[in-house]
Amino acid sequence: MNLRTPLIAAGLAAAACLVQAESATYAIDPTHTFVTFEALHFGTSTLRGRFDRKEGSVAFDRAGRTGRAEITIDLASVSTGVAPLDTHLKSRDFFDAGSGDATSTAKFVGERFAFTGDKVSEVAGTLTLMGKTMPVTLKATHFNCYVNPIFKREVCGGDFETTIARSQWGVSYGLNFGLPDNIRLLVQVEAIRQ
Amino acid sequence: MCRGLALALLACLVSAAHAQPATYRIDPDNTRVHFEIMHFGTSTLRARFDRLAGSIGLDRQAHRGELSISVDTASVSSGTAPFDGMLRSASLLDAQGSPQAWFVASRFVFDGDRLASVDGEFTLRGTSRPLSLRALRFTCQPHPTLQRELCGGDFEAELRRSDFGITYGLPFVADRMRLVIQVEALRD
Repeated sequence: MNLRTPLIAAGLAAAACLVQAESATYAIDPTHTFVTFEALHFGTSTLRGRFDRKEGSVAFDRAGRTGRAEITIDLASVSTGVAPLDTHLKSRDFFDAGSGDATSTAKFVGERFAFTGDKVSEVAGTLTLMGKTMPVTLKATHFNCYVNPIFKREVCGGDFETTIARSQWGVSYGLNFGLPDNIRLLVQVEAIRQ
Repeated sequence: MCRGLALALLACLVSAAHAQPATYRIDPDNTRVHFEIMHFGTSTLRARFDRLAGSIGLDRQAHRGELSISVDTASVSSGTAPFDGMLRSASLLDAQGSPQAWFVASRFVFDGDRLASVDGEFTLRGTSRPLSLRALRFTCQPHPTLQRELCGGDFEAELRRSDFGITYGLPFVADRMRLVIQVEALRD
């Protein structure tokens, strides 16, 4: 009896550790995490741009099917491959991203993770842009976890997408002369277990 | 009578003018070649080429056309500088040995009046293979500010990079590569 009690206690403690270990923190890998936007240009062709500076973390419990993601994007890091267009996007007409204050960033907070089997199928949350916070749901087109052979750590990630109406955040430039309100966001995410 | 003939002649001239192929120069500010590759079966890597040039010859009445576009491989841009360096290296795009990749097509496939695909040959790292660009959309209209006709659209294609001798990183980084091409071209 005396022998068994501490064993049971140790067993319980180990079980508690295991349960705790299920909920892990993952840091966003900035080299495999990008937000790309697509906008139809005067009804003719689709313009793409991306944001090069970002940071964030994900708390993820695959067994418990819960998670929380936070990703912050530096709007001044917008990159389309055409310098004058980047300058215009950073100007007051669009992101007003020169000021360096909180409005120079876009922040996504995902608090409701939906699963299909053991794969994330959807992350619902909010997008804060230009000081306005509105609901956004990212739909997963891919999701997977793997052990990266270089870091020897688990990496979880996938491809997500959503379409937003930019005017909801007050970004309305060009709506009156044919630039589209609907912007498709393609989100590549990989996050490394800490 | 004479007036009728003159009108008929004029109509012929106008229709002949319409049938003449027009030449369009690619607008590099609104033309991009992106590629997408699956990374560890998990997420999609994207990169683009920032320097490119090309032209389109198009006879919309006769449903004929030809297109050539070339990209500077050194202008590859992924958003991650060390990765760009890897992409330019000899084991991947080999930007030094093959400074350009190009697509040349002389078969425009129409479905009714809709452009369905542009079929031609793609050359990457000195290897040429047939490639078909599917047209997701393609229209011609007056440019909103310039007094010139603008033709453009979105195209996509798929290839296997190993067909062009690019095997580095297989199979962790997929063989299948999707090309996503935005094109706008202004009439000369």
